[in-house]
Amino acid sequence: MKRFLMLSFLAFSISYAQDIVSKYIKGQIPPNPESNIWQKATPVKIPLSGQAIVAPMDLNPATKDITVKSLNNGKEIAFLISFKDEKPSYFRTNNTFSDAVALEVPLTPDDSTPITMGGNGKEVIILQWAAYRQNNLQNGYADLPKIEPNYYMDYWYPQAKPPYAWPKDWNNKYALDYTGGHVPYWKDTRNTSVIEFIADGYTTTTWKKHQEAKGLGIYKNGRWYVEIVRPFKVEDTINPIWGPGSKTFIDFAVWQGFYKERDSRKAISYSWIPLIIEGK
Amino acid sequence: MPKVYNWQLGREVEYLYEGVKPKRQFAVIMNLNKCIACQTCTMACKTTWSSGRGQEYMLWNNVETKPNGFYPLGWDIHLMEKLEEAKVEQVWENGVYKGKTIIEAAPTGERVLGWMPEDLDWANPNIGEDETAEEVDIGTVIDHFPNPIWMFYLPRICNHCSYPACLAACPRKAIYKRQEDGIVLIDPERCEGYQECVRACPYKKPMFNQVVGISQKCIGCFPKVEQGLMPQCVTTCIGRIRLMGFINEPDKIDPENPMDFLVHVKKVALPLYPQTGMQPNVYYIPPITVPIKYLRQMFGPGADNAVETYKRMREGKEPELQALLLLFGSTEFIPHKFKVEGDFVLAFDEKGNELVKVPLTEPIIMRPATDPKLGVTRQDIS
Ligand code: SF4
Ligand code: SF4
Repeated sequence: MKRFLMLSFLAFSISYAQDIVSKYIKGQIPPNPESNIWQKATPVKIPLSGQAIVAPMDLNPATKDITVKSLNNGKEIAFLISFKDEKPSYFRTNNTFSDAVALEVPLTPDDSTPITMGGNGKEVIILQWAAYRQNNLQNGYADLPKIEPNYYMDYWYPQAKPPYAWPKDWNNKYALDYTGGHVPYWKDTRNTSVIEFIADGYTTTTWKKHQEAKGLGIYKNGRWYVEIVRPFKVEDTINPIWGPGSKTFIDFAVWQGFYKERDSRKAISYSWIPLIIEGK
Repeated sequence: MPKVYNWQLGREVEYLYEGVKPKRQFAVIMNLNKCIACQTCTMACKTTWSSGRGQEYMLWNNVETKPNGFYPLGWDIHLMEKLEEAKVEQVWENGVYKGKTIIEAAPTGERVLGWMPEDLDWANPNIGEDETAEEVDIGTVIDHFPNPIWMFYLPRICNHCSYPACLAACPRKAIYKRQEDGIVLIDPERCEGYQECVRACPYKKPMFNQVVGISQKCIGCFPKVEQGLMPQCVTTCIGRIRLMGFINEPDKIDPENPMDFLVHVKKVALPLYPQTGMQPNVYYIPPITVPIKYLRQMFGPGADNAVETYKRMREGKEPELQALLLLFGSTEFIPHKFKVEGDFVLAFDEKGNELVKVPLTEPIIMRPATDPKLGVTRQDIS
C-alpha cells in the first residue's frame, strides 16, 4: 500500500525543467486546453526569468514559471502552456498591452542555435499566441466603440466593418499610396490567434506569409491555459526539422500585458529544453 | 555605443546606430509670431492621413497653446521632469550642450529616457487653448513686452529627426529614415505595436492605432514631397507661417537655400528642445513676445539672437529676411533656392525653374467709394 501511494505520488508530481516529451496519441488533437486528452501528457514545470540581454528589458517579470505539456499525432504537434496571471489583459490600447506566450524551436535540431531568437544564420521558428488576437476573433475587432462604449465622435470612417479596407472608389491618391493601402490591415485580418515568425537574431522576427498554427487560450482560476497546435509540415513554407520519433529543442517566453510586458520586456526560459517527440 | 555629430548641440552624441546621412534632409520652418491656431493644418492632415478607424484620437499635426496647452497632456513637462529626475543639467556653454541627451541618460535596461502617455492624455488635444501664463483681469491692457501675461501657439508635426529616438527604440527595426529625403517612417509590415517609439519620442509624435495594432505617425506627406510638393499642413496654412525645404548641415550651407538662410545664416529659426539630442528638423522662429527664459529652455541658447534678429527685421533692418518670409504660403512647390530681385522675391525649384515671384510690397489699388455707373456705394474699396 505504502509503495502504491508513493508511485501514484510520483506519477502526479511535476517534473522540473527536464526534457519535454511530446506524447504520441492517435486521432485528432482538439483545439481545447480543457480536453481530457491532455491528461495523457506529462507536465513539465519550467522556471522563467527576465530577458536581460538586450534593451529594453524587464528584469523582474510577472511570470516566474510555466507548466508545459505536449502531444503529437504524427501529423501535428500541440503544446499546452499554463501560467499564473492575476491580471489577464486582452486589449492593446495606449499603454495597455496584451498577454501573450510564445515557443521557439530551432530550424535544425541544434542547441548551438542562439537562444536569443536565433542568429548567425541559425534560424528559429517562433509561434506566438496573444490574448488580443484571440479576443479580436472571438468578440470582433477591438475598435474604439468596443473599448470605450461611451465614446462619441462625429468623424467619419472609411468603412465601418472589418476588414477595414478603404472604399475602392476613394480617390485620395496620397492616402491610397500609404494609409489607404491594404498594407497596415492585412495583419489584422488573420483568422488565428497564433502567429508564426521566423527569426535570425534579435530585431529580425518576421511574419511568415503562410500561417497554419492554431491556438486557444482559456483563462481559469487565475491561470492561462494556452494550447498551440501546428502541423509538423506546412506546405510552401520553411518548417523546422522535426517529426514523430525525433528530438529537437524548445524555449518559451511569456508576456503579461498588465505589467507592460511586450517585445523584449519578457520572461523567458534561459536555455534550450530538449523536446523528445514520440513516434507511433 | 556609436557616436554621431549633432550640430545643434555642437558636439558628438551617443546614438544606437552609426550615423548614415540621408541624401537630403526634409525640414519645415514655422514662424510662431504668426500662427493664429486656426487648426487648418490639423484638419488638412487629419482628413488626408488619419481618418481611419483606430486613428480617431490621432493628430499627426496638432497646434497647442503654450505654456498651458499640450497634446498629449504635459508632454514637454514630462520631458523636463524626466531630465531632472535623471539629474541631467540642461547647461550650454558657448553653444555646446553640456548635459546628457535622452539617449545618453537612458536608465539601465532602456534604450531611451522615455515615458508613456496614457489613453486619457491624448483625449484633450485642445486643453489650455488661449490660456495665458498669468490671469488677465477685466480691463487689462498689455502695452509692453515682455509681459507676464503671454501665450503663443505651437504647431507641431513629427520632426523627422536626424537621430530619431523612435527609430532607436524600436526593437523590431520597424522604423527607418529614408535615404532620399530623411523622412522618418514606420514600416507597417514590421511594426508589432509595441509602442516603444511612443515611449521614446520626446515630442510624442508616434501614436498607437489599436484597431490595426501598429504605431503610426506623421509621414511628412512623402508622396507629395516625392512630387516636389510641400506637405498638406504647409500648403494649407492660413497664417502662411510655414515653409518646407531641404536643410544642409552647417558645413555645407547654401545661403540661397531658404532653410539654410533662416537656420544657419540668419539663425532666426531654431529646433524644438534640441537638448533631447534628436537633431529635430522642424525649426521655429520664436515668438518675440514671450519671456526669453522660456524660449531659451524651449529652443536653446540661440533664442536671444533669433528674437533680436526678428525684431530688427520688423524695423526694416533685415530686408532679405523680410523678403524670404513673404515666400511662406506663396507656392505649393518646394523651394530649393530663393533670390531677391528688385521689388520681388523669387523661389526656384531644384532645376532652377522659377516657382513664384512675389512683390515685396503688395500693390494697393483704391477704387472710388461710389460706382457712378451703377449709382451705388462700394463696401470694398481696396
Ligand atoms: S519627432 Fe519623434 S517620431 Fe518624429 S522622428 Fe523625431 S523621435 Fe521620431
Ligand atoms: S494653419 Fe497655420 S496659422 Fe492655422 S493653426 Fe496651422 S500653423 Fe497656425
